[in-house]
Amino acid sequence: MKTKTILLALTLTVLTASGSAAFRKEDVKVHLLDNGLKVLLLEDHGIPNIALYTFFHVGSRNERTGITGVSHFIEHMMFNGTPQIGPGEFDRRMEFAGGANNAFTGDDMTGYTDWFPAAALEPMIVMEADRMQGLLLDPKVLESERGVVASERRMSVENNNDSILSKNVRATAIMAHPYHWDVIGWMSDILSWKRDDIMTYYRTFYAPNNAVLIIVGDFEPARALDLIRKYYGAIPKSTPPPAVSTVEPPQIGTKRVVLRKAAQVPSFEMVWHAPAANDPDYFPLAVLEKALLAGQSSRLYKRLVREEQLAVTVRGGVSETLDPQLFTITARPRPTADLDRLEAVIEEELAKIKADGITDAEFQKTLNMIKSDFYFGLQSINGKAGALGQAEILYGGYEKAFDRIDAFAAVKKEQIIQAAKKYFTDANKTVGRLVPEGGAK
Amino acid sequence: MKARSIVILILVTLLLLPQLAAAAFKLPTPEKFTLKNGITVYYLKSTETPLISLRLMLRGAGSAQEPADLEGVANMTATLLLKGTSKMSADAIAEAIGFLGARLNFSCSDESAGLGIDTLSEHFPKLLDIAADALMNPAFKEDEFAKERKTRLDALKSVKDNPGAAVRYYFSKVYYGTHPLGHLSSGSEASLQKMAVADVAAYYNKFYGPAKAVTAVVGNVDKAKLIEWLNGSLGKWRGAANVPASALPVLPKPKGIKLVLIDKPDATQAYWMLGASGFAMGDPIYPKVTVMNTLFGGRFTSWLSTELRIKRGLTYGASSNFQTYTSGGTFIASSYTKNDKIGEMLQLVFDLLKKARAEGFGAEEVESARNYIQGQFPPTLETNASKAGTYARLAFYNLGFDYYDKYMDGVAKTTVAEAKAAAQILPEKDFVLVVVGKSAEIKDQLAKFGTWTEKKITDPGF
Repeated sequence: MKTKTILLALTLTVLTASGSAAFRKEDVKVHLLDNGLKVLLLEDHGIPNIALYTFFHVGSRNERTGITGVSHFIEHMMFNGTPQIGPGEFDRRMEFAGGANNAFTGDDMTGYTDWFPAAALEPMIVMEADRMQGLLLDPKVLESERGVVASERRMSVENNNDSILSKNVRATAIMAHPYHWDVIGWMSDILSWKRDDIMTYYRTFYAPNNAVLIIVGDFEPARALDLIRKYYGAIPKSTPPPAVSTVEPPQIGTKRVVLRKAAQVPSFEMVWHAPAANDPDYFPLAVLEKALLAGQSSRLYKRLVREEQLAVTVRGGVSETLDPQLFTITARPRPTADLDRLEAVIEEELAKIKADGITDAEFQKTLNMIKSDFYFGLQSINGKAGALGQAEILYGGYEKAFDRIDAFAAVKKEQIIQAAKKYFTDANKTVGRLVPEGGAK
Repeated sequence: MKARSIVILILVTLLLLPQLAAAAFKLPTPEKFTLKNGITVYYLKSTETPLISLRLMLRGAGSAQEPADLEGVANMTATLLLKGTSKMSADAIAEAIGFLGARLNFSCSDESAGLGIDTLSEHFPKLLDIAADALMNPAFKEDEFAKERKTRLDALKSVKDNPGAAVRYYFSKVYYGTHPLGHLSSGSEASLQKMAVADVAAYYNKFYGPAKAVTAVVGNVDKAKLIEWLNGSLGKWRGAANVPASALPVLPKPKGIKLVLIDKPDATQAYWMLGASGFAMGDPIYPKVTVMNTLFGGRFTSWLSTELRIKRGLTYGASSNFQTYTSGGTFIASSYTKNDKIGEMLQLVFDLLKKARAEGFGAEEVESARNYIQGQFPPTLETNASKAGTYARLAFYNLGFDYYDKYMDGVAKTTVAEAKAAAQILPEKDFVLVVVGKSAEIKDQLAKFGTWTEKKITDPGF
């Protein structure tokens, strides 16, 4: 069932070993239209289907107070009508042609993902080109869709304790940068977005020069390019959107969030400010993340879930984002767990990494995991399209994805120790707890 | 000016939507061979990625055999296979699998337990050794059992903090009762307290054995090499489980209307699930019902989604589906909305069910559903894992490898009249409806639908 969902945590591993038969840099055909639209074409005739993905360089980091959540709301409204294709028609025509789609919004990007039989390529290009410029934002439809997003927020945040805590911790740790708020936006903004503000935002960010179009699957590239030129070619360029200039100031002391509400079990989360996806420090943190948190052989799983039985699950890692965001550790505590002890164990494990780094075996495990995850993702046309699109937005070019494994393989033990010492400090830390109140034990 | 010419092009193109060719895509037929101990293996070579997927299904090792007071024992058995063998500790097994960056899991369903491996080809032999050791030499240690039991008991408590998850647990209990499909796969508070490690060992001894296994392997591996590796691992498994697998008991069929309300005082939305009798696996009505349900609640533009989400903005999601088993099936519809809209939403659902039965669907709708099902079919068989899983499942249920060819043919031929006939399976007077929400704000709206049994979310169990 399609959901048009928010991308909460994008864990992207677009990496490749050189010489792979599956997917080479040279297989991707790149074109730049005069209006700035970047086009990536990759033939794959495994199944008679096509994945057509459109990624825009816009997400909640481009918003401001009063219009938080509007990136995600426009993602919803993109299915709700242009002068040529009325409200709901996009989905009706697409499904009639045998297609399905979804869409997502993240901190840094908004993606539209279409999957359809090869014969539907032209009508899908027609409809995608159409909604890149002509959104109606019909007031009646807008009000109805506002209700959908409010329901989405009630489901994903208000009726989910882990999520309530997570939003509070994020907003406490990050005070200046727009990552302060989550993709869904504050409820009062959802209930009061103005049509004019939404339209201005759409016109600013939805333009060919702010997008990348990726087509992977069963098609003939020359014909696809002709169709793209025909339907996208006349869409005008926009003034490039303003850069996000706010820089999060350094944190100068541990912050603590304690929430009390009806609950059966507590929630727990710790975060530290962390570097951006393209910062050299990102790589040692992403490597130690696997040793610390990936799977049942990870250090924190063994300590917290198996040995001390303080938590039922533990997960997290460094965010892969355009601007610096957070390294997060989220545990689901056992109902009667001592949360002070839980926090102390996490600090103990971080102290070990600050002192000794990780073992050679853990480093090799990390590289094995990264390599496997990469290939698992490349078994499908949608996996390939997603990997290319996300690399375009996050790394500044799909081709950079192909060099990324080298950056992981080149990480030195000393860099891991230095990064751990630099980021996992008390001054850089925010700790969140949700404590049950009034719920049955 | 240019914008105008584009408009014209769009209109012309959309009038000339291409005629969709019938889906040419077919599931490739796998090769078949037998291991030294009799395990049947289906195999397809795929060289696009350096990966291999394996799926193994064990007849009878699923929850269908569980006594009601030991619900969860089948899943516990599958889980404990990787928590220590006579050769390796639980930590050593986790370390070995993690080190290879692979996925290796044991799971359990109603009529089967299963093994899944997804890995880079180079690590496949090592993973086969781990899996074979787990199947042949499980230690079932007391301390590992105790840890797993405690984790399950602790995890159960958090379910009630999430009404979207909790409604599924409550629905399952209300609809299926003591039938194995109503068992919580993780076990209930009562069954976990009662369960001992000896129950797990006994379950294993009764229901695990090579004679009950069906296996499929898809990936980048030569046949000769694969046979050698499999015979050196799973092929060494000897001994027979001493109890024949019994079939899943016949599914309960609701008679009359059963309404249950779970009061969760801090909920800001009300979550509901409606269930009724469906159809069994292998029933020729399958393609026709799929066409019908695609239109009723199976895709984004379905009636449920259109009326509840798209037109009225009442919810983020609304859908319906049919679940099929060898001994029957179930129709399930579900959604959620803010507290003051639950009465309006449920009335809409009942009106839509009535309309579908009375009027059926239009010719264009039925054509759209046929196109949609056919167009979305190939991606479901794209990966090694999905092909291996499909081979194992089709062989396990003896459905034949042309099953999906016939199914797609049935979909392509479904008529408007058949879609309406299929809609008669939708419930009218015999169903179960469970709502989780804030009773004080929703009770009055629910009263018109009948008499509700009310429970508190803080009451023990589900």
